[in-house]
Amino acid sequence: MLYKILKKENYTDFVEKLISEYEFIGPKKKDKVFHDFVPIKDLRELDTDYKKTTIAPAKKLLFPPTEELVEYEVGDVIKVKPLVESSEKILFGIDACDINGMNFMDWIFSTEFIDENYFAKRRKLIVIGKDREPSETCFALSMGAEYAKDGFDIFLTELEDRYFLRIATSKGNEITEKFARIQDATDSDFRDYDKFMDDYRSKFKLKINIDNFYDDFEFIYSNEKYWEEASKNCYSCGSCNLVCPTCFCFNVKDDMQLNLKVGNKMREWDSCMIPEYGLVAGGHNFRPTKENRLKQRYRCKLKTFVDKYGKYACVGCGRCIEACLAKINIVEDVNSVKKEVSA
Amino acid sequence: MVLDIKENKSKSTIYVPDIATIKKVEKLSPIEKLFTIVFDDPKKQEEFSFRPGQFVELTVFGLGEAPFSIPSSPNNKKCFQLCVRDIGNVSGALHRMDAGSKIGIRGPFGKGYFPYDKMRNQNILIVAGGLGLAPVMSLIDYILEDRKNYKELNLVYGALDPESIIFKDRVKEFEKRKDIDIHLTVDNTDASWKGNVGVVTKLIPAIECVPEETFAVVCGPPVMYKFVVKELEKKNLRPENIYLSLERRMECGVGKCNHCHIGDKLACVDGPVFSLWEIRNLKEAI
Ligand SMILES: Cc1cc2nc3c(=O)[nH]c(=O)nc-3n(C[C@H](O)[C@H](O)[C@H](O)COP(=O)(O)OP(=O)(O)OC[C@H]3O[C@@H](n4cnc5c(N)ncnc54)[C@H](O)[C@@H]3O)c2cc1C
Ligand code: SF4
Ligand code: SF4
Repeated sequence: MLYKILKKENYTDFVEKLISEYEFIGPKKKDKVFHDFVPIKDLRELDTDYKKTTIAPAKKLLFPPTEELVEYEVGDVIKVKPLVESSEKILFGIDACDINGMNFMDWIFSTEFIDENYFAKRRKLIVIGKDREPSETCFALSMGAEYAKDGFDIFLTELEDRYFLRIATSKGNEITEKFARIQDATDSDFRDYDKFMDDYRSKFKLKINIDNFYDDFEFIYSNEKYWEEASKNCYSCGSCNLVCPTCFCFNVKDDMQLNLKVGNKMREWDSCMIPEYGLVAGGHNFRPTKENRLKQRYRCKLKTFVDKYGKYACVGCGRCIEACLAKINIVEDVNSVKKEVSA
Repeated sequence: MVLDIKENKSKSTIYVPDIATIKKVEKLSPIEKLFTIVFDDPKKQEEFSFRPGQFVELTVFGLGEAPFSIPSSPNNKKCFQLCVRDIGNVSGALHRMDAGSKIGIRGPFGKGYFPYDKMRNQNILIVAGGLGLAPVMSLIDYILEDRKNYKELNLVYGALDPESIIFKDRVKEFEKRKDIDIHLTVDNTDASWKGNVGVVTKLIPAIECVPEETFAVVCGPPVMYKFVVKELEKKNLRPENIYLSLERRMECGVGKCNHCHIGDKLACVDGPVFSLWEIRNLKEAI
């Protein structure tokens, strides 16, 4: 890690240069409440001080909602070719917990088998992170995801009159040397940064009682009444999955163009909360009820990957809480599990 | 990002199937057919090696992809076989295909296989229901081809009715052979049937086995597992020595799409064969 300082008066110049030099993706205000990560052509469109988490997480840049994986031509011989798309882009203004979400995706797509469709894009994505005040549904601090240690090229922390830059890769270093007027961080910069981080952490008001969940989940697992109550209003709409920066489930489909000569294999996001998820040919459903599905979603987010990945598969961004029309709330549910166990 | 993960310079990705040709189609039952398949690239065919219990993802171009276990022996390097039930999109399309048709194959997949290596010098009890005979056929053939290295081999097989029995010729062959004991039963009989009637679990108690020296293998429809496991536990078999091939919905076969999770495990990469001990705490498993 390199530590540098960018004075505020030089910030605009830096970002403008990046916008003109690169395909630049950043948060833009969509409506009164939400922001979205979209291509930015003009600095005025960029709004990194968004309060609400952006609607769709940045995972869509690496793992788009639909993506062609393989193309084939069917004739006397069948020709198959992989479709791997990638172009260099800057992703600007992503916050720490979303970077941690992306780190989880990196792990998923590189474990056992390497998913080249994902990594071709990831390699070309220059990530410039930026701290942001937590929204009222964000509980990233309790999930240990409020701070990103890696997964970015440059991370900007806004101090009073300057930005404290953490530069994690040689690529990040090249970019700052080329496009920014920077200087080395001094002792007093580190002191201010340290103070800022304490203050930043104190702004996370929402707390999830996650520490004992790994074992407590097994206590509550067979309590049918608990799960019935927790899931009773669920519409099985899958919104909680679509907005989640760590949800990665997908379906694979094959399709043929109308000429019946050219076809493709593609993937599209799926959702573990919809009934079809566990349905197999012949009509058997391995997870037929919404109780089963909510339980599995919490297990997947909060338990499965503690074993496999060493961390939670939830970064506490709070998007699922905001997206759910049925007001199903992961924080309240986990906290109520704790209450049940300690009752 | 500068990543540790090296760029893939080969022209392939984990989603690209290899082209193969269906060489032979045999009808096994009213709804099951056996397909003999050879890769178009001779080098791929030569290199294609798998373990009993593993599966492939089969693409019907333009239509879809589905996982199928490989019932043929791993020792057969010239071709491999798939036994497919006509039940949906991909399987239905396959049933309409003749010899000469082209398909795509990815795999073999699954780290969890029937542990033929650990089973050496042990007794083996295989319990199969319906289409569940297909995945274990590979193991049976493997053992029969290396027979002296295994002790007693028992196969309990239950089908819906006499017509639904798959691999009928092989079943007849097993009935004649002395090096495998087959215990056959059907749920519904017809006039021609002279054998056992009822579910497979009824036949298990009569089979003698030394608990410390016996491995069991179970494969069948989802409802079957719980009852068979209960019978095997009554025989005091060790949970580490009871192997189950578990089927779940699969989309990718390579541990990415997450559909086949069973609690904290993935059937495609951690399985599809698990020991009872591995899944002892996964309440949804069986
Ligand atoms: C490890 C494993 C081994 C299998 N071995 C065999 C075998 O040897 N012979 C055989 O006939 N069948 C086998 N199956 C089941 C077979 O995969 C399904 O019958 C097949 O996927 C049905 O696909 P379809 O397109 O015809 O049906 P559709 O209903 O059109 O299914 C659409 C898609 O859903 C998924 N899907 C549906 N049912 C299943 C299922 N039961 N298991 C997994 N994915 C499913 C597949 O991706 C499929 O392409 C196996 C399944 C698994 C997981
Ligand atoms: S929990 Fe909420 S967002 Fe998720 S499927 Fe149910 S209703 Fe939809
Ligand atoms: S489960 Fe909810 S809070 Fe956790 S990462 Fe996903 S959307 Fe964010």
